[in-house]
Amino acid sequence: MSIAEAQAAELAVEQPSGLLKDALVRLRRNPGAILGMVLIGAFVLLAIFAPLVAPYGPAERVGGLATNPPGPTSEFWFGLDDQGRDLFSRIVYGARLSLLIGVVSVAVGLTFGMSLGALAGYFGGRIDTVVMRSMDIMLAFPGFLLAIGLVTVLGRGLGQIMIAVGITNVPVFARLLRGTILGQRESDYILAARSVGTPGPRILFRHLLPNSVAPVIVQATLACATAIIDVAGLSFLGLGPSDPGLPEWGRILADNAGRLNQSIHLVIFPGFAIVLSVLGLNLIGDGLREAIDPKLRS
Amino acid sequence: MTLLEIADLQVSFSTRRQTVYAVNGISYDVEPGETLGIVGESGCGKSVSSLAILGILARNGRVTGGSARFEGRDLLEMPDSQLRRIRGRDMAMVFQDPMTSLNPVLTVGRQLTEVLRRHLDVDRKAARSEAQALLERVGIPNAGDRLSDYPHQFSGGMRQRVMIAMAIACKPKVLIADEPTTALDVTIQAQILELLRDLVRSEDMALVLITHDLGVVAGICDRTHVMYAGRFVETAPTDELFAQPRHPYTFGLLRSVPRLDAGRAQRLEPITGAPRDLTERPTGCAFAPRCAYATQASWDELPILRPVEGSGPSGGAGRRAHLVACHNPVPQADLTAAGIGRGRQGNA
Repeated sequence: MSIAEAQAAELAVEQPSGLLKDALVRLRRNPGAILGMVLIGAFVLLAIFAPLVAPYGPAERVGGLATNPPGPTSEFWFGLDDQGRDLFSRIVYGARLSLLIGVVSVAVGLTFGMSLGALAGYFGGRIDTVVMRSMDIMLAFPGFLLAIGLVTVLGRGLGQIMIAVGITNVPVFARLLRGTILGQRESDYILAARSVGTPGPRILFRHLLPNSVAPVIVQATLACATAIIDVAGLSFLGLGPSDPGLPEWGRILADNAGRLNQSIHLVIFPGFAIVLSVLGLNLIGDGLREAIDPKLRS
Repeated sequence: MTLLEIADLQVSFSTRRQTVYAVNGISYDVEPGETLGIVGESGCGKSVSSLAILGILARNGRVTGGSARFEGRDLLEMPDSQLRRIRGRDMAMVFQDPMTSLNPVLTVGRQLTEVLRRHLDVDRKAARSEAQALLERVGIPNAGDRLSDYPHQFSGGMRQRVMIAMAIACKPKVLIADEPTTALDVTIQAQILELLRDLVRSEDMALVLITHDLGVVAGICDRTHVMYAGRFVETAPTDELFAQPRHPYTFGLLRSVPRLDAGRAQRLEPITGAPRDLTERPTGCAFAPRCAYATQASWDELPILRPVEGSGPSGGAGRRAHLVACHNPVPQADLTAAGIGRGRQGNA
C-alpha cells in the first residue's frame, strides 16, 4: 500500500463519506459555529414550541393600557407593553415570524438567483450578458432601498415583504453561482464527463451544480440573517407587515422607540432577540465558509 | 473499412483579437489492435486534434476543414445527439491529469455506473457489479469497497486507473489516451502503459497515444507521427523512426533526450528557439526558424509528407511507410555522428 493510499485509508476510517460529511466534521470543531448553532437551535425550539413556552398569547391583554408600562417582574419576565401584552410571549411568538421571514425570503432569492446564475454561467454568451447586466442594474441600488421600493410597489402584506427582501438577494446569489460555474465549466472532470457522452442538462445538474453550490450555501446562511435585519428595518421604518397584532421584532422595536426613556425593556428585549438570531446565523455562515472552502481550493 | 480515419483535419480557435491555427491538416488512420503514437511538444495541437474528433472542443474552437470518419461515418458532420452515443461507447478518452479529471463530489462507483447506464441497457445492480469488474480489470485492489470511495481517497496512479476504467467501460473500439502517464511517477507510468498495452491486446482495441515522451512511444506504439505546429512532420513505424529519423525536428527530439549510455560530460542538444506562434499561417516550413538544415526553399514552400527515399524496405508504401515533410532531410552521416542508427532504439 502506498503512502497516499494509507492516508486515504486513514481518511476513510475517520470520515466515511464525502465532502459534506467532511465539512460537518470541520464545522463541529469550530467553537463559533457551535455557539451559532446553539443560538439558532434555541430560536428554532422557541418557534416550534411557542405555545408551550409562552405563558400568554401574542395578542393577549394581561394588563391594562399604560403609557409607561411596567418592566420585568417575576410574573412578566420581559415586562408588559403599552397595550398590556406580555412582552416575553410576544418575543417567543416573534421567533416564528423571524425564522419564517429568513427562510422564505432566502428561498425566494435562491430560487431565482440560482436559476439565473446557472443559466448565465452554463450557457454564457448573450444569455450571460443579458442576465448579468440586469443583475448589475439591481445591484446598483442599495439592497435596503430596493426592498423599500419593492414593498411600496408590492404592498405591505407579510408575504409581499418576504418576496421583496428575497428579490434583493437574487443578484447576489446569481453572481455567486455564475462565478463558480464559470470556474468549474472548463475543468477537466467536465471535459471527461463530456468525453463519455454525458448530455448537457445532466452535466449542469449532476456535475456543475453540486460542485458550485458550496459558496452559495454559505451566502444563503448569511443572507438569512440579513433578511431578518431587513424586515426588522422595514418594520422600524413603518413599512413592516400592516397587521399591528403581528409580534414582529422590528415592529415591537419601532412601536416603542419613543418610550426609550421610560420603559427601556420594550426596546432592549426585542433588540437582543434580533441581535442574537442574526449573530447565530452569521456565526454558522462563517463556520460553514471555513469548513467548506479548504475543500474547494484543494 | 478503416476503423478511424482522419483526413486533413483543421482546427482553429478564435478569440476577440486573433485566430490561433492549432491543427493545420493532419491525416492518420487506425485499425483495431493497433497502437498509434502522436508525439510533439506542448501546444503543437496534439490534444486539440483528439478533442475535435470527439466533438468536445472548447467553445471558441472550431473544426475548419477535413473529416474524421469512424467506421465510415463522419464524426464532424454528425449531430451532437448521435455523437454523444459514440462518445464513451465506441470511442473514449483518457486525460492527462487524473487528479482533476474525476468529479470530486461523486463516488467513483457513481461515475462509473453513470457511463455504463448511459450507453448500455443495464439496471443499477448490473451496472454496479460491472463497475466492480472494471476496477478489478484495471488493477484496483478491494474493488468492491472502493466503489463507494470518493476520488480524493485515491492516489494519482489509482485515479488514472479509474479514469481508464471509465474510458473502457463500454469496450470502446478506439481509445484516445492524452498524455496518460505525464502526471504520474515513473514506476506508476510503466504500470499504466502495461495496462493500456494489455487492453489493446485483449480487447483488440485501437489506441491513439498522445504524448511528448519518446520513451512512452518507443515502449508501446506500432506507428508514430511526429507533430509540429499543427502538422505531422514525420510518420513512420516506431522502430524505423528511432533508427532513421529524417526530419530535423525528430532528430532534435531524439538528441535532446538524456541517454544512459552517453558519457556524463556529453552535453544534451536542445532544440533552440521557441515553438511557432500559431496565430499566423506560415508560408514555408514551420520549423525553419529553429532548423539547422533550413534553406531558402524551407522558407518559401510548405513541405508536404513524402516517402523517404532510399531508406530500405521501409521506404515502401502501406502501413510500413516512412514519410517526412522536409526539403532537406537529415543526412545519414549526421545520424551516425549523433550516435543514432539502425539497431539502436531510443529506449529513453
